[in-house]
Amino acid sequence: MSGAFWQSVDLSLFWEYRRVLLAGLLFNVYVFACSATVALAVGLAAALLRVNRSWPFRWIGTVHVEVFRNAPDYIMVVWVHFVLPLLLGALIGRRLELHPFVSAVIALGFVYSGYFAETFRAGIQAVPIGHVEAARACGMADRLILRRIILPQVVRRMLPEAVNQFVSLFKATTIVSLIAVPDLMYQVSMVTATEMRPLPLYTGAALTYFAVIYFVATGVRLLSERWRNKIYA
Amino acid sequence: MSNWERLVWNQRGVLLQGLAVTVEVCLIAFAVAIVGGLTLCLIRMYFRPLRHIAIVLIEFFRATPIFVQLMWVTYVWPELFGWPNSFFTAGWLALGLQSSGYLAETFRAGIEGVARGHREAGYSVGMSPLLVFHRIVMPQTVLTVSPSIVNQFTVIVKSSTLVSVITVQDLMFQAMKLVNVWYEPIEILTVTAGLYIVLVFLVSTAGKMLADLLRRRYGLAAA
Repeated sequence: MSGAFWQSVDLSLFWEYRRVLLAGLLFNVYVFACSATVALAVGLAAALLRVNRSWPFRWIGTVHVEVFRNAPDYIMVVWVHFVLPLLLGALIGRRLELHPFVSAVIALGFVYSGYFAETFRAGIQAVPIGHVEAARACGMADRLILRRIILPQVVRRMLPEAVNQFVSLFKATTIVSLIAVPDLMYQVSMVTATEMRPLPLYTGAALTYFAVIYFVATGVRLLSERWRNKIYA
Repeated sequence: MSNWERLVWNQRGVLLQGLAVTVEVCLIAFAVAIVGGLTLCLIRMYFRPLRHIAIVLIEFFRATPIFVQLMWVTYVWPELFGWPNSFFTAGWLALGLQSSGYLAETFRAGIEGVARGHREAGYSVGMSPLLVFHRIVMPQTVLTVSPSIVNQFTVIVKSSTLVSVITVQDLMFQAMKLVNVWYEPIEILTVTAGLYIVLVFLVSTAGKMLADLLRRRYGLAAA
């Protein structure tokens, strides 16, 4: 390892632009939070369709899961950004344009809803049927059974799997830079374009993402494990 | 002449060319991932001096987003190591590295899942450690991890859309090029998305059938 090597690895450039880059990272978190909300809501709805008693609903749920689980994130982001506004615009007869942020949240939310739907479904089906029957025997309404009996068990059971999916979702938020959402990767490529020094910038970005994802994921896994142990005892 | 015919059917040559590049990138990346993953896993488990380096590499590959890693390999590696020298190489290399991290952990879980008694039985009949690994541990590991390996291959196919960003002319690249020529994204992007969905669906279905077949043929009780 020569001096020239360390000179080129020198991350001071990364430090110099810390304001912009930090703002970019925050944008990643922002996109993540919004699309995770969408993914959880849509995923739960799809899972409920998949365990529905009548087959047309089950079928819709299955199609939803298969389409979104098999679709690459990138093409879905591009499709939602460029095609969806045209289709919706034709429907309401007006020109429509989606803000890149909105497109990103819709696309990532729907793609990951497919994964969350499967996790929810596995959790729901693992609840013993006796619990539901007992609740029904007490005269609980279906909605109340879902909220009081099924969901609390599902959440605990699906937590480890869900943490993995949240990690994947956070990693996927880096591609929103490709439709010009100003996240960390976007800022890095902008700075690279002016400074012409990709090495420190991309290395810094990779290390930053690694640190954030690795430590936050490890921490969350630890906490969720503890919480699960406390409740299951 | 409908839009579908003009924008999709008449461009089928270009799109199929892109699809061929996608398949090529994915297959090379898959091979790299399996070889790299197995190497990392074996180093981590059996070669003490380099164990920590392997762990750091595995964790780094696993915890960095694929897009970031792709840009890093493409723009930083040539400066650091003088390689890779083409975008195509950088594309499969980044995809392969990312998956090798995941596969290393998959292999490790598989190897650790082999019952201790099986290994001991091998030693007690006088097999050498290498023979035990080759005849007893590996066959069982391949059976248990085959579904995860297939799953990882679908992840590679899905991530391969990103190599279009570094101008590798895969299906996604050709589709975006057509969009930029005609300014009519609806048909092209819908068909491309559909193609990808079908491709991934076929890969995962075929993989599941293969894994089932392996299990039925070579039986794996309670695995």
